[in-house]
Amino acid sequence: MGPLIPQGIIGMEWDLVFALLIGIAFGYVLESAGFSSSRKLAGVFYGYDFTVLRVFFTAGVTAMIGVFAMNYLGWIDMSLVYVNPTFLWPAIVGGVVMGFGFVLGGYCPGTSVTAAAIGKIDAMVFLIGIFLGITLYGEAFPLIEEFSVSGNLGRLFIFDFLGISAGWFAFLLIAIALIAFGVTAMIEERVNPENGLADTKGTSYFLPVTIALVVGVVLIFTPFKSITSLKEVDKQQLQDEILAGTHYVHPDEVAFKLLNDYHPATLVDVRSRADAAEFSLPGSVNIPIEQITRKQWRNVLSPKGEKVILYSNGIALAQKAWIVARRMGYENIYVMEGGLNGLFDIMENNTMPNSLKMEAEFAYRFRDRAKKVFREGALEAKKAEPSPKIDFSETAAARGGC
Amino acid sequence: MIMEQPKSQYINPYLAGVLLGLVLIMAIFIAGRGLGASGAFKDLATVTVSAVAPEHAAESTFWGPILSGETHPLKSWLSIEVLGVLIGGLLSGILSGRMKFKVERGPRVKAGTRLGFALLGGMLFGIGAQLGRGCTSGAALSGMAVMSTGGIITMMTIFGSGYAVAYFFRRLWI
Repeated sequence: MGPLIPQGIIGMEWDLVFALLIGIAFGYVLESAGFSSSRKLAGVFYGYDFTVLRVFFTAGVTAMIGVFAMNYLGWIDMSLVYVNPTFLWPAIVGGVVMGFGFVLGGYCPGTSVTAAAIGKIDAMVFLIGIFLGITLYGEAFPLIEEFSVSGNLGRLFIFDFLGISAGWFAFLLIAIALIAFGVTAMIEERVNPENGLADTKGTSYFLPVTIALVVGVVLIFTPFKSITSLKEVDKQQLQDEILAGTHYVHPDEVAFKLLNDYHPATLVDVRSRADAAEFSLPGSVNIPIEQITRKQWRNVLSPKGEKVILYSNGIALAQKAWIVARRMGYENIYVMEGGLNGLFDIMENNTMPNSLKMEAEFAYRFRDRAKKVFREGALEAKKAEPSPKIDFSETAAARGGC
Repeated sequence: MIMEQPKSQYINPYLAGVLLGLVLIMAIFIAGRGLGASGAFKDLATVTVSAVAPEHAAESTFWGPILSGETHPLKSWLSIEVLGVLIGGLLSGILSGRMKFKVERGPRVKAGTRLGFALLGGMLFGIGAQLGRGCTSGAALSGMAVMSTGGIITMMTIFGSGYAVAYFFRRLWI
């Protein structure tokens, strides 16, 4: 069901209203946690005040658990959630530069806004610095553009990067956070015996720590659907299917479907809109490969009891689309062997079989008929706009079986 | 100063963390995106550069794409969200009586020096956030919530490099 705005459950016009409300809540929490104080923030680097680590880590872990839970309950479709893309080298260098900025400036951008709001002059200067830094970067961009997109790993989840399950990663993160809280509390008490732990004293943490650990253990066994809310197929199973080649459909079957409209199959053209506008098999749906993950195609790609046959010019593109669709959990997905070129080749190079085998004879006759139909119909009409209802007059009679 | 407060004036950091986490969950659930801050300054810088040199900005591969977007940069999600952060901070500051003009600095550093380093720190953050595709909120915090590899790497390097250089700048803070 969620995220609400990208799914269209709440209208786009509310987007900015929520942006403002969420911002207010964000700023309010930051300020009341003491993030409007540069000395408090810088304390994390000198051991006299670990507030930053406590708030930051707790917030990150809480949100991650929330995302996990919403994902499990089907409240949120991860394919519609922004996952920061991974550009390895810039991410590392950018982080290092920001670490410098944190120690020198005593703020990070979000916290400096709340600090400036309550009158901290150093925060206002820090904000001017951010503005100047971005301007400088923007002007120098031609020089660093290449570096800024280096090490592109795309939308990559950390658990995939580490090669562990999402649940195990969640558990480890919770465990690391709890250990960090314990260790830093000891450090702070030693470095700053008078005022250390001022915000956390007098509370028992037995219950929250126990709850966090229990949640962590539960998460280990909770599946995380990272692509869509459809069931994700195991990578190994997919690989086996590819090697076995069971996902191929012979062009004859496609031709048969075209000639006999009642044959239960959905044809999907995964090439670009422009290619499909040039020529597309009649009755097929055009889903450019990059759109295949969109929810709008869910009904097209999962018809009841029908085969879905993907095709492109060759097989490479359709093969790719097939992998994505299968990973998304769509079943009954096939690839047309040889692609459009293969289909035409078979029709064009159809020769009368020498052997007297029945099967070969049938194949010849069938292809011959298909070729004729294509000649009179779609094959010759390459420039024509594809329409899902091109009428094959010859097949009209066969339509009754529907 | 904070150090002289016998009792804390701030809320328990773990509670604040849970609240902040809930805000982040709401952002993800409603808008499908995390929190952010530096992006708003990118929008502001874009508008400024465009006002000063419109042709130059439109041609730039950095500013151009932001300007050619459907919405005005200052009406972007992040710009409005950061406006909210300002209002939220102000509300909390007023309610807790923390409104005061001052330069916050370590005990051994002059106000002028502090402001100079604040400017420098801000600039570095501005530059780093472009490379890291977000700052502590957008890349590190929101990245952790959605388990993004890039976000978590940026988070580790922010704090890692902070600790690595902290010793050399200790005069600023302790």
